Amino acid sequence: MSDPPALLVVDGVAKSYGPIPILRQITLAVPPRSIVGLVGENGAGKTTLFNIITGLAKADSGTMLYRGKPYAPRSFGEAFSMGISRVFQEQSLVLNVPVYENMLLSQEHRFTRFGQLVDRRAMIRVAERIVREAGLDVDVRRAAGEYDFSRRQAIEIARACLAPKHLMGLEDPLVLLDEPTSALDQKDETAFADLLARMRAHASFIFVSHRLTEVRELSDSIIVMKDGVITGTLTPQEADEKTLHGLMVGRDRADDFYHLDKQRASVVSPVVCKADRLSGADFHDVSLEVRAGEILGIGGLLDSGKSALGKAIAGVQRPKAGSVTMGDRTTTRPNISKLVRMGLGYVPAERLVEGIIASFNLAMNLTLPSADRFSPRAIWRNGMERAAAQAAIRQMRIRSGTPTVLLRDLSGGNQQKVVLARWFLRELTVLVLDNPTRGVDAGAKEEIYQHIRELTGKGVGVILVSDELTELIGLSNRILIMQRGAIAIEIPAPPESKPTEHDLIPHMLPKAA
Amino acid sequence: MSSSILQKRTSGEKPGFRLAAALDRGTWLPLGVFLVTLVIFSIASPAFFTWRNFAATTGEAATLLIASLGATFVILMGSIDLSVGAVVLLVGTVTVAILNLFPNSDLGPLVLPFGALLGGVLGAFNGVISVHGRVPSFVVTLGSLSVFTGIALSILAGATIMFDLPLFDFLSLHRSIPHLPNIALWAVLLWLLAIFIGSRTRFGRFILLIGGGEQVARTAGIPVDRYKVWAFIASGTTAGLAGIFAMTRLGAVGPSLGGDLLLNTLGAIVVGGTSLAGGSGGVQRTFIGVAIITVLSNGLNLVGVGPYWQLVIKGLVVIGAVLVAQDRKRGLIIK
Repeated sequence: MSDPPALLVVDGVAKSYGPIPILRQITLAVPPRSIVGLVGENGAGKTTLFNIITGLAKADSGTMLYRGKPYAPRSFGEAFSMGISRVFQEQSLVLNVPVYENMLLSQEHRFTRFGQLVDRRAMIRVAERIVREAGLDVDVRRAAGEYDFSRRQAIEIARACLAPKHLMGLEDPLVLLDEPTSALDQKDETAFADLLARMRAHASFIFVSHRLTEVRELSDSIIVMKDGVITGTLTPQEADEKTLHGLMVGRDRADDFYHLDKQRASVVSPVVCKADRLSGADFHDVSLEVRAGEILGIGGLLDSGKSALGKAIAGVQRPKAGSVTMGDRTTTRPNISKLVRMGLGYVPAERLVEGIIASFNLAMNLTLPSADRFSPRAIWRNGMERAAAQAAIRQMRIRSGTPTVLLRDLSGGNQQKVVLARWFLRELTVLVLDNPTRGVDAGAKEEIYQHIRELTGKGVGVILVSDELTELIGLSNRILIMQRGAIAIEIPAPPESKPTEHDLIPHMLPKAA
Repeated sequence: MSSSILQKRTSGEKPGFRLAAALDRGTWLPLGVFLVTLVIFSIASPAFFTWRNFAATTGEAATLLIASLGATFVILMGSIDLSVGAVVLLVGTVTVAILNLFPNSDLGPLVLPFGALLGGVLGAFNGVISVHGRVPSFVVTLGSLSVFTGIALSILAGATIMFDLPLFDFLSLHRSIPHLPNIALWAVLLWLLAIFIGSRTRFGRFILLIGGGEQVARTAGIPVDRYKVWAFIASGTTAGLAGIFAMTRLGAVGPSLGGDLLLNTLGAIVVGGTSLAGGSGGVQRTFIGVAIITVLSNGLNLVGVGPYWQLVIKGLVVIGAVLVAQDRKRGLIIK
């Protein structure tokens, strides 16, 4: 074979966080000066793989070869010094600092004279050379914040591709791009594609994107991941949307996984929660209604504003305009402590930051919102709390749960069951869920779905915000697709005629894509 | 087989309230340090282990304990109150000034509720600005430390104001139990009340939850802001009470009142085992911290260590306590 030796080889890499395997036996190769597309649903393990390649996480097992030598970076800096860098989803430029300083951030030691003084002119020279070679029209002396999002991204990509050469004489670096286009409009996307085409003369890329058309157009080969496993490696010609989806989603989900028999067909029940012309940081002018016993799904890309919408309805983040109605009360300043007393529940997406206090025990995490029940007057009723915790552990089948077990000693799925159980203790009318099964294994997922169905059986209206399309389709009665902060379309999803992912995805992407 | 495990774990539920909880490191370490210092000073100074010294140190410790009670709640929720000593000084000063304005009136019995109220108002000042103005408590209370001290010193105008009331002698110096000044009795009663509030009430639970995960508490609908303000009010209230007790014990209020309380309250709380990051520890532990700090000051005095070196040693002990106790993974963020 005349194939040149691969730039990077990942061989049998595996990684678990606690009891949950994130990556199992990942093996792939990146040929020099190539663009490898990496696709998969959220939670497939793409980001963890990137973390391992760039030294932000350590593999539990497996090896990597880089330029033919064993490679096991201990830090991001070490990976960078060997020519591997990464452009993050959230940009990492410091806005009030000149472009050249941003480009050479943490590389200042290469420009010192007499030990301490930084040679700014030399820094500017190098930065200018990088910008010129990348074909960017950027004045490196101006603050990064003076350039718009897409231009700043171009600066980051140029830095990643060219800085190793100009700083360390390293040709052919490897650049990892983490959803670089999810926040770009069509014009910017064309510019991005052009830049990538120019840069491939200097570097190799692994490129994660949810926009499948784009991945097909830009990549030399496409790797598909699902649940921590590579399910396919395709050429762009082989990778039609149907094949990609099949590999990304895998099995046709059995109906009983989502308990479709319990999905309520009727939606003539009264409205329990209403948002009227709600606007916030990432969404604008959104109106919606949820009826008793109904699951209203909200889908969209990461930047669609769907999570922020959920937070605004639940009163976690105050909206800029509009109102929320629960029962017969309307408020323009929804506040979660008040809404909770009126029968609202909220399950946040970021379990460890917003959902649980990992160093506290199960009982305390369980009764968080229920002071009205466990402390009707000033005194906290510990005995009653313990009994409630024991009942919840039985009911939700929280494995290795005791009232006093610390939450950090439970698996993600069982932690999530505690977060759900928290609201099951209360008389709910509305439950807002933001990615309720993120980081949860399939078994616990199914149980969580069952509990959600039980709630709707009791007449609770559920708002389900989710990145996972299969979950959205499987659970919802109706699905709202958001795009750039507005509702693009409402799609009905009755049990007898569920839409497919193909019906949803086109509405999630900007029209022209 | 699992029932025995369950039994054991249940005992850890309310930290410090059950005997088994005493086994964890946060409790036995300060206790050990206390016993060791006791032994060392008993050997080093014949005056140390005497009834006379006991009465003197318990009187001193009482003021510190009262002043540290509310501040423990503030630290437990992940904030800090640097103004405790300044509140003690200001409340003491204002009270004495008012008493001297009306020398023949019968205001004596009102001083305790008045001190608590004034302290609470000062605490509310800290809390409202910090919580609703979104200013870190470190900055607000550092500022109010200066403000309160400045007001007090300008009232005192550099002088020490003396006064004398028989009621005050009974409050603090009289010994209803042999060898134990009444002020220590009050301090212990207040401490027990604070333990009850910390471990058995909604307020105590919410403060602990806020310290453990403020964002989690907020997202679950707990009125975080309101309870944070209440914690600062609690801190001001106990500082105000401490100001009154200090005043009655000393029979005078001078510019140096409360001056050593900035380091001593924080020291007692941290040495006792309450984490500066919030969410772990509690008022029950502050007692042993107060004991350590007081015995240290007293013992060093008796052994003949000069006041300047005492500052050095006390400072090192506080830093050492944080080094030993902090949870490095969580980092140290004071809101």
